Amino acid sequence: MQRILHTWKHGKWLTHLLIIAGGFIMIYPLLWLVSASFKPNTEIFKSGSFIPATFTLENYRYGWQGLSGVTFGHFFLNTFMLVAVCIVGNIISCSLAAFAFARLEFALRKVWFALMLVTMMLPFHVTIIPQYIMFNQLDMVNTYWPLMLPKFFAVEGFFVFLMVQFIRSIPRELDEAVKIDGGGPFKLYGYLIMPLALPAIITTTIFTFIWTWNDFFAQMLYISELKLYTVSLGLRMFLDAMGQNQWGAMFAMSTLSLIPLFVVFVFFQRYLIEGIATGSLKG
Amino acid sequence: MNPKLKNALKRNAVGYLFLSPWLLGLIGLSALPILASLYFSFTRYDMLTAPDWIGLENYRAMFGDQKWRNSMKVTLIYVFLGVPLQLIFALSVAMMLNRGIRGLRIYRAIYYVPSLFGGSVAVALLWRQLFGGEGLVNLLLRQIGLPGYNWIASPDTALYTLIVLKVWQFGAPMVIFLAALKQVPAELYEASRIDGAGRWKQFWRITLPLITPIVFFNVVMQTIQAFQAFTPAYIVSRGTGGPLDSTLFYTLYLYQKGFTHFQMGYAASMAWLLLIVIAFVTAMLFLSARRWVYYQE
Amino acid sequence: MKTRAKAFAMLVLSIVFALGVAACGGGKNSGGSTGGSGDSGGSAQTGSNSGGQSSGGSQETVEIRFTWWGDTARNDLYNAIVDRFEEEYPHIKVKREFGGWADYWDRLATQSAGGNAPDVVSMHQFYVADYAARGALLDLRTVIDSGELDVSLFPQSTLDSGTVNGTLVMIPKGVTMPGWVYNTATLDKLGIAYPDINWTYDDLINISRQVVEKSGGTMWGTPDMGGGQLQPNFRYFVRQNGEDLYTEDGKLGFSRDTLVKWWSMWKQMRDEKLIPDAATTAEYDGVPLEQNLFVTGKVALFQIPANQIYLYEQQFQEGEIHMVRMPTLPDGQNGEYLEGAYLSITAQSKHPKEAALFINFFVNNQRSLELFKVEQGSPANTEMAEFVKPLLAAPQARAVDFIQTVIPYASSAVYAPAGATEVEAAFKDNATAIAFGQKTVEQAADDFIAAANRILQQ
Repeated sequence: MQRILHTWKHGKWLTHLLIIAGGFIMIYPLLWLVSASFKPNTEIFKSGSFIPATFTLENYRYGWQGLSGVTFGHFFLNTFMLVAVCIVGNIISCSLAAFAFARLEFALRKVWFALMLVTMMLPFHVTIIPQYIMFNQLDMVNTYWPLMLPKFFAVEGFFVFLMVQFIRSIPRELDEAVKIDGGGPFKLYGYLIMPLALPAIITTTIFTFIWTWNDFFAQMLYISELKLYTVSLGLRMFLDAMGQNQWGAMFAMSTLSLIPLFVVFVFFQRYLIEGIATGSLKG
Repeated sequence: MNPKLKNALKRNAVGYLFLSPWLLGLIGLSALPILASLYFSFTRYDMLTAPDWIGLENYRAMFGDQKWRNSMKVTLIYVFLGVPLQLIFALSVAMMLNRGIRGLRIYRAIYYVPSLFGGSVAVALLWRQLFGGEGLVNLLLRQIGLPGYNWIASPDTALYTLIVLKVWQFGAPMVIFLAALKQVPAELYEASRIDGAGRWKQFWRITLPLITPIVFFNVVMQTIQAFQAFTPAYIVSRGTGGPLDSTLFYTLYLYQKGFTHFQMGYAASMAWLLLIVIAFVTAMLFLSARRWVYYQE
Repeated sequence: MKTRAKAFAMLVLSIVFALGVAACGGGKNSGGSTGGSGDSGGSAQTGSNSGGQSSGGSQETVEIRFTWWGDTARNDLYNAIVDRFEEEYPHIKVKREFGGWADYWDRLATQSAGGNAPDVVSMHQFYVADYAARGALLDLRTVIDSGELDVSLFPQSTLDSGTVNGTLVMIPKGVTMPGWVYNTATLDKLGIAYPDINWTYDDLINISRQVVEKSGGTMWGTPDMGGGQLQPNFRYFVRQNGEDLYTEDGKLGFSRDTLVKWWSMWKQMRDEKLIPDAATTAEYDGVPLEQNLFVTGKVALFQIPANQIYLYEQQFQEGEIHMVRMPTLPDGQNGEYLEGAYLSITAQSKHPKEAALFINFFVNNQRSLELFKVEQGSPANTEMAEFVKPLLAAPQARAVDFIQTVIPYASSAVYAPAGATEVEAAFKDNATAIAFGQKTVEQAADDFIAAANRILQQ
């Protein structure tokens, strides 16, 4: 509190004002979502205020019970597991590839790098059909394999490229220190690059979590059994364009599903912002 | 064996060892679908029966397709307007939040909240609420005496509401910028302050040059992703492409052609053409990088 | 040396760990479980089939897959029906898959492409032509002839509505008819007389004028029905003029004149501000039920399928929802044709007989119908239609009455050829262009006809 008053007095009030106003614009939809989750279905679209005329927890109860005895909690667990595996896969495979591209020399390196970038440029709607056929032949449809397996093979060029850029920002002189001690590429990877590229790894964690959590199309295609449903499939369950929609339940579950995302982000961003990064550069 | 050759082989072996997961993935998981889609682009393929070779027919038809030209136009506007705007915001906010002022930790999280929504139905609903004929935006405008307008449902403004949506969800590049800013060694700032450099000079001489690799990353990635943007247009226009195709993004049209009209061959040719366009733009960006991106290698 | 090995070992261990978690998580849920919540306890009734004959032969467990579109309420309902089926036929396990409307079709197309289509699929008029024309659906005559599927109590017109190019490819779960609705309370408040069941287009325009006038301009008469989909509104008009959307051989079945008359009528209404302007129409395009123009009180008349009457009645605090026929043309013919929601068997299915038994249970068995009632329309089986009547609440009973009143007016309707979805898109685009003032009616009509002919040539 004292610090806030301090900055106020020192004329940074304009910055503060902007930040607060901006902040409100950022979370306005969140406020709307949360308030709608406490309103009954018939009221949601009729009134514009944040305070529900009729406060109800029915949406949460109805939404949580899910369908046919499979609760939303089950969907959360499924998604947590899926996301955890995806994060591990991405970190390992993408960092290996990024290290190779950024620090090692080998034949055709630039060609492979270009190819990696190109794979990101093809819209997935056209590769999804042959990919589905492929996974179907392998009998992996209606499991999590099609969603998890690619993560262990650095299929998401976004993270490879991200890590490449971070690694390239690390001065080469530091490599010398490791080499002088007699370390080979493995040591370089494990002891120098990985720790220094921690911001990139954390970023990868955050984004993999959020994108996998929110991913819809692939999950919809590959998972058809209720017990395997993830959160995003569960949320879609409440809507049907041809009939009635359970808006309240959907908003309630959406609000709940934002919580893990928010928590993960807040938790990890502390490492991003409050600088584990600067540690080893001084040595 | 010749020691130089031995070394070269060893280097290559190590390189390929680290690269192997990716390479395996490329050959085992990605290559087949990618090549298959290329094949489809030369066929008429309705997904229910076998593909039928028709050569360059799809490509030729594309250039004569008015909707295709329109979707390309819509996408180009989205990319060249949306990406710079979003990145400027992202960098500005990242810099603001990087100041180290304690009380602002919550704000960092708050500024990321929009990006948590992703492409959810809730966002689409809200956007229509905000920008519709009787939405919040019009309400505010009328308060200050300006006339309202149906921003989200008028062909001349609908696309811009989607650009606003993109800018609003600047959290992802912002986080990446924050990570990059954190990598700039604090000693450099201290040293320059001793030399009497002000904040602006610090930004231009220290911060910006050192984060150019990440700026470059964000520019390239946001461009590639913006060209393929699908979800915002899909959820806000409910799959229609907006009033009079004004929000018919390229991949949305592609999706319609493939899944709704059962013309997967045409969709595939659209995809490959897009790939060429994106590859071209990316190559230009990479070429330009030599001028302004600074690696500490 | 030691530390390098240690790091490497840790790397390998984490990969193994992750894969292990994946195998546990992915593995235990796949392959092993079938049929979801199929264990409904209770005594299994072996061998008692009402309304169908079992295909003699092996009683080893067969698994079939059934998909549908719907929301949670319907999902619960259908799961219950499927549970009952599994009780009747313990040797058949049914795996259930469902999704929202749009996702349903994306997934079905992908699964079909991948050779992984379910056995029993819910089918709809919008897409049946596409699937049937490409041989994706089984000819149901085969399972009717071999006895698994009994359609003896189905009126011929209902079977006709499931016939594409002479092949019976789908059976209605429920038959419905479209109509126009109004809320009695709304019209009472405005002091407007209810439309007659056989009202005309002129009546539509007149009532709209009254609505606008008496509401002081706060309400419109109806939404803009000039564009959007070809069915049912435009199609009824076309049929009333003695034509149809398409001809038997897959060409456009109506004249430019009819089209111009239709679009001109709606343009006139738009100019008179009896219907919403182009931007508002675009804004409300595809909006969910709870948010549409009728429910939010912006229009007084609305067009819906009869089976949704009860949904709408729930949305209003007061008044009842009554339905009248689609507006008629004074010297025209009857436009009615049967609509509904259907069930098909995919040609890829490896268990067509079991699939047929399932469909048979679904549409003919009392234990199914007592839950289904009129969920997606009135049952086609005439006995079952009578059977469910006493189980219905007032709005649903009203819907069934309406449907039964109007069915006699129905005549057969030609199914759209493959490529119809593109023709629809052209229709909608041109109508929207007129609404936004970018084209004249004449121009749009020309453009549409040209586009449609080009699409249908292929």
